[in-house]
Amino acid sequence: MRTFILVPTLAITLVAAPASGQTINVATAGDENMVDYVRDYLGPLFEKAHRGVRVVAVGTGPGDAGSQKIYEKLAAQKSAGVAAWDFDVIVIHQKIAGQMAGAQLLAKYKDDIDTGKLVSRETAANALGADVSGYVMPMFHSQTALAYNPDIAKDVPSSYADLAEWVKKNPKKFGYNGIKGGMSGVAFVTGWVYAFSSDAAKMMKGPYDAATKAAWGNLLGQLKDFNKSVVITPGNAGTLDMLNRGEIAVGPVWVDMFYTWMADGKLPPSMKLKLITPGMPGQPMYYAVPAKAANAKLAETFVAMATSPEVQAEGIIKRFNWYPGIDAKYLEGKLDKAAWNKLFTDISPEELATKGQPFPITPYFNDVLEAYEKQVAN
Amino acid sequence: MSASRSAGLLLVAPALVLVMALFVYPLTYSVVSAVSDPAGGVGAANFIKAFELYSGDILYTIFIVVISTILTGLVSIAIAGYLTMGETPWLVSGLAWLYRWPLFIPFIVAAQCMRTFLAKNGIMNNAIVAAGLLEPDQTISLLDWRGIVITFVWKQVPFVAMLLAGAMASLDRATIEAARNLGASRLRCLVEIGVPQVAQTLMVGLVLSFVTMLSVLSVPMMVAGSQPTMLTVDMAFRINAYGDYPVANALGVISYLMTAITAWFYLRYSLRQHRETLT
Repeated sequence: MRTFILVPTLAITLVAAPASGQTINVATAGDENMVDYVRDYLGPLFEKAHRGVRVVAVGTGPGDAGSQKIYEKLAAQKSAGVAAWDFDVIVIHQKIAGQMAGAQLLAKYKDDIDTGKLVSRETAANALGADVSGYVMPMFHSQTALAYNPDIAKDVPSSYADLAEWVKKNPKKFGYNGIKGGMSGVAFVTGWVYAFSSDAAKMMKGPYDAATKAAWGNLLGQLKDFNKSVVITPGNAGTLDMLNRGEIAVGPVWVDMFYTWMADGKLPPSMKLKLITPGMPGQPMYYAVPAKAANAKLAETFVAMATSPEVQAEGIIKRFNWYPGIDAKYLEGKLDKAAWNKLFTDISPEELATKGQPFPITPYFNDVLEAYEKQVAN
Repeated sequence: MSASRSAGLLLVAPALVLVMALFVYPLTYSVVSAVSDPAGGVGAANFIKAFELYSGDILYTIFIVVISTILTGLVSIAIAGYLTMGETPWLVSGLAWLYRWPLFIPFIVAAQCMRTFLAKNGIMNNAIVAAGLLEPDQTISLLDWRGIVITFVWKQVPFVAMLLAGAMASLDRATIEAARNLGASRLRCLVEIGVPQVAQTLMVGLVLSFVTMLSVLSVPMMVAGSQPTMLTVDMAFRINAYGDYPVANALGVISYLMTAITAWFYLRYSLRQHRETLT
């Protein structure tokens, strides 16, 4: 089946490539803003520095679904014994990164590039419990938080426990997208399990114990009860849409999407963010180079440029409102104070450090989702 | 003779290969994957899990698709009937010009339009409020199962109405005119003379609509929240979140069974018709 799709795609790629110059294919999972970032910002920047090179950006879709498609394509090329794979640079989520490294689909390139030394966060080595050190470079970090409209939401709760009380007093004023409409809802549910179970530390660090989920019956029952007083929105963008139209007053969102929507005039400028206790999850996106990328050297140069302090300051922080993938101390002097402060308007760096949590390790992650499907959604 | 037979086979071959590769192979593969047991061998484990997690969604899917099919049928009959029996020429030509438009709009675009149209503070409610018919706090959002049904019906009506209008246009008008002369109302002519004669076309249109609506992913994903949701969303989630093809395929087989029931009705009906025309 797959060859039916692959052959024409390959043929088109071959025909489309200019005879003289090189083309590097960058496949990126994630929302439309990710594709925009590569196509409108990184690509032209790289083409300017490397004459004759063309950067082709391909979006594979939001959420883990997008990463899954990249995985399936590379796995298919590997099992077909293809010598040079189509993607040169891939941008993927945490969950699939461990799986890809385990399946030997990725090149160990981080220590070959200069910017590899600028990375300090633990997520560069550990992706939801899987060892990915050397295989990935964090592109950015993002965080979920509650967005609220101070004009209609009074006494916004500051913890999960308060929120559970708040929705009873303010029915249908809180909205989130369940777990099938994007990661902001998944993050909210994960945060709920962290908050009301005593297993948070074990879920983030391991080791995995299949019996842990048996203790979640009560907290999931409470979540089901909670859902009766809230609105289930259609997707990450759906939550922001409803906040914008004033149909809900509070909802979990990705911080970067929130600021981008606000900058585009799609959210009222009075809206604010709050990171509630004990915390909510965030995640990085990774740059990786497939093990048999056709233009591996060029791909490494591309990632090195994309993770350089200049590009992280201008592209990641200033233009797209993400938190940097490399250590923030290397950005000093590259960024004006105002742009830096804007990132931390509502959520201070200290709050981010104490209340920004990782997602659970993969087996617990799957347990959370499936337990939710079984005990809350069905 | 044998030369023409092999030429015939050669002509059929491309179509046959396509059907085998793009339909029979994936169908068999998905059934095999659905009945595979995680522990090895054959078993119903995937189906048990599918029911455990998605029984609500299975019923919800049936509910949405059945309601949408019925409404599609009713609206299509009304439109096709008016196109054939309408007596105001400008209304008939206006309707004929208008009703086909949704055919050219993809589901995903329709879903996006409905999102802004049907929301609580969406275009429809804003228009109603601006017209002074409702107060802003009396408006309700239709972005739930009703939104999905509205989108489906809006999108499928032109298709069924087009088939029906074509079939009705080729009816012998003498019967309708005779009934009109004897004093039957237009509605009665439509229900008792028009519709029975085009019932088979209606059935084909509705069966095809049923199958199409069952397979749409974008509309339930974009228009309504995910609890409950339709099976397509669950299948996508099974694959994207867990890489779990067997349970996704089990859900797929459950949807095949739903379509198989409608196909059975259709076949039985058309066989009976066929026999009647022979005798």
